[in-house]
Amino acid sequence: MAGNAKETISLLQFILLIHSAQFGLGVLTLPRQLAEKSGTDGWIAIILYWFLATAVSFIMIQIMKNYPQGTIIDLISHYFGQWLGKAAAAVFAFYFAVFAGSAFIREVLFVKLWVLRGSAVPVILLLLAVPSYLVVRKNISILGRYVQIVFFMTMWTMFVYFLTFKEAQFLHLLPVLKEGWKPIFEAVKTLILPFAGFEIILFLYPYLKNKDKAAVGAVIANTLTTVMYLAVSIGAFAFFSPDEITIYHEPEMMMLKVLEFTFVERLEIALFSFYLFTMSSTVLPVIFFTAFCFSKFAGQKKHDKFVILFLVFVLLFVFVYPPTYENIKYMQEFFVKCTLIVSFAFPLLLGGYMWLYNRWKTKGAAQ
Amino acid sequence: MFAGIEKRLPAHIKMYGFPICHKLNLPKDSGGVLMRISRKNKKRKPAPADTKKDVNAKENINGQLQESLNIIQKIFNKTPDLTIRPLLIKQTKEQAFLVYLKSIIDSKTIFKHILKPLLFEEGAEKDGAKWEVSLGPFRKTMDWNQIEDAVLNGECVLFVENSKEAFIFNTPEFPKRAVEESKIETSITGAHIGFTENVDDNIALIRKHIRNRELKIHEMTVGERGKSKVSILYLEDVANPDVLEILKKRIGNLKIDAVINAGILAEYIEDYPYAVFPQMLLTERPDFAAEEILQGRYAVVVDRSPTVIICPATFDSFFKTIDDYSSRWIVASFIRLLRFVGFIIAVFLPAFYIAVISFHFEILPLELLFSIAESRERIPFPPYIEAFLMELTLEMLREAGIRLPEKIGQTVGIVGGIIIGQAAVEAGIVSNIMVIVVALTAVASFIIPNYEMSSAIRLVRFPMMILAALFGFVGITAGAMMLLAHFLVLESAGTPYSSPFAPLKLSDWKDSLIIFPQKYQTKRPLSTKSKQIKRAEFNRRDGGQNGR
Repeated sequence: MAGNAKETISLLQFILLIHSAQFGLGVLTLPRQLAEKSGTDGWIAIILYWFLATAVSFIMIQIMKNYPQGTIIDLISHYFGQWLGKAAAAVFAFYFAVFAGSAFIREVLFVKLWVLRGSAVPVILLLLAVPSYLVVRKNISILGRYVQIVFFMTMWTMFVYFLTFKEAQFLHLLPVLKEGWKPIFEAVKTLILPFAGFEIILFLYPYLKNKDKAAVGAVIANTLTTVMYLAVSIGAFAFFSPDEITIYHEPEMMMLKVLEFTFVERLEIALFSFYLFTMSSTVLPVIFFTAFCFSKFAGQKKHDKFVILFLVFVLLFVFVYPPTYENIKYMQEFFVKCTLIVSFAFPLLLGGYMWLYNRWKTKGAAQ
Repeated sequence: MFAGIEKRLPAHIKMYGFPICHKLNLPKDSGGVLMRISRKNKKRKPAPADTKKDVNAKENINGQLQESLNIIQKIFNKTPDLTIRPLLIKQTKEQAFLVYLKSIIDSKTIFKHILKPLLFEEGAEKDGAKWEVSLGPFRKTMDWNQIEDAVLNGECVLFVENSKEAFIFNTPEFPKRAVEESKIETSITGAHIGFTENVDDNIALIRKHIRNRELKIHEMTVGERGKSKVSILYLEDVANPDVLEILKKRIGNLKIDAVINAGILAEYIEDYPYAVFPQMLLTERPDFAAEEILQGRYAVVVDRSPTVIICPATFDSFFKTIDDYSSRWIVASFIRLLRFVGFIIAVFLPAFYIAVISFHFEILPLELLFSIAESRERIPFPPYIEAFLMELTLEMLREAGIRLPEKIGQTVGIVGGIIIGQAAVEAGIVSNIMVIVVALTAVASFIIPNYEMSSAIRLVRFPMMILAALFGFVGITAGAMMLLAHFLVLESAGTPYSSPFAPLKLSDWKDSLIIFPQKYQTKRPLSTKSKQIKRAEFNRRDGGQNGR
């Protein structure tokens, strides 16, 4: 509940929280996945998905306008009673836990693969858990500030990525629509994971200071993510030959390997470590909302205990079930199914219901 | 249920609380409530100073001179510098005596303006006052506590026969030094004047800069044994009133023996005493304090301390000096940026060195790698031990430099520079590169203008080095994240510490990383949440005469 006056976020923080929750991890494999489905035309799918994501974001905001002083859980308990509210809290908690867990493990795997080959996964996880806890245990505005400062701090890495374009052959992109529209529609599915994260609108809305701008903010956030994905994917498509790109698991990382300066060789090692900031800004909001939903479910005001609980759980999980890229793939596939329910089916149904409800109510009032 | 039991207890048992359970043989579960009470009582330390234990302390004076004399002597026994001067007031022929501590009063004033008029001058004034002295402020009291405080504060107290009030004259003269330039915060073009140990002088120094009726002073007293006056200075129509409330509450709640200097008070009133970074700005410069007050901040002047606490402070305010404003803005901006770079170097360079040498040597170009390998060839230690060795040596040298008197201090430089630097390299204990790294770190940490901040930064680099030794660049990044998290959570007197970076306040950037020309700085910083934002008109060269 946005009871505390201190717990507000500005429009910029709102935009960047949504954007950060989307961007960061999915982008690593995105160009390959797009290329597997639809060759170099995959970028069109990104634009198509942008329409979808923005539309659903709009619906979410319309839903939240009905109960602007609380999160979606408060809204459900307001309209449907406390028990359904609890149930919604549990569902969202589970959803975010899967999201945060898979993202966090993914982050750790990235570090292990590209930088710290020799270190054990639980050790890296423990190392990254400490700063995560420090940021997440406080309130949403601290998180907003974190995401904001990280975004501006890491913006330059994008320009380093552009440096690789001097090796790129943009002819690879032509002809457009070489195999028609069908593969492109198939590729849209691969974007569910990279775009997942805009559903935090349902929780961010009550904290937003200027609520009239929420819709604008959602559009900007989705557009920002889309532009980033477009730049990254088109760059990767142009850099690799159309068949080569599917060989690499994370093609952008391979692209950065060509960078070399007279004063620093293999810049990418430093760059990958720095990329942890961007990845953390994806993981941390989701961990926050995991803990937040669990605390709502347990009926407690403070969520910091649940952050520890969650991190300990992830740590135990990687002990019992050592993650590999294959394992994490299953986890992510499961998560994609959850996303379809939580960020598409759920808002559509609830939005429809709210619309009917409001119509019926105004009709009733008019009579 | 337990409330009843408690009521039945005699008062003295309730006070101690602890043995209740055993004495009354209460059932075990009832211990919960009572133990909680007892724990509370145990935690509360005994009042720091129970100085009011003296006899008759609660009674007022009754006009009997002999009795008053006895009480005075009882209160101030074993006080050889207590002076009691019996006298006969010539104007009214009354018996009287004057009490003061001769070590802390101005004897000339007492003689000229109190004793001389009372002893030698005749004729009372017409307006009913029975006798006169030629001294400005004096006050009357009946309360022994006030009398005691007055004597201890260097005032002298006159007891007159058959008067139920004593007269207190303000005649203190504590030893003090002249107003001179601050030795720690030196400046090139700023005012060459610094705060001293006297609260009135310090307030005067600030008033000298801000001669405005809106400059208000809220006075408080802190300390049980060594009472000291704490004055909060602020501009009433500018400063954010919430901060004043916070300060009043925090200072008012303090129960301590004495506040020896402003640093102690700052630690007590800080928002996060366990944080690494200082959240209250300490300064010795009146011009800097005045500038901050004009920005809408509060200055807390503590008696007997030459440093003044400025709050709310933001992270970037620790990187400002008054010289930034007196030199030209381009130069000042460059130097300001240099300080932030210095901050990054001081925190991360040794860690970066460790990470590169022990994990990621492949990022170095081949030529550099060879030259480093050559210089490290004879070194038996792994890089982190080498780095710790040198960094600790550096810290010791620095501390030795501060504590030693100036004449011997130079020796430290020679010992440090030649023997440890050159000889250690030649003996094969550390590498050349390491010496360069240490020297760079030292220089970088010395350009941070605020001493507290520069110490904090030097401390932070050790955990960074450990993380780098364990995890390389990833460790450094994780460390940086922790630092960032820490930095975002901090608040200074209820306002965000990390402003204007996050929350992003673009208009405050005119005076943070770089300094915009003065004429564009028309607003007070938003981070202080001051009531009045505008501080200057946009001053055009032609005075706004020609057009627009």
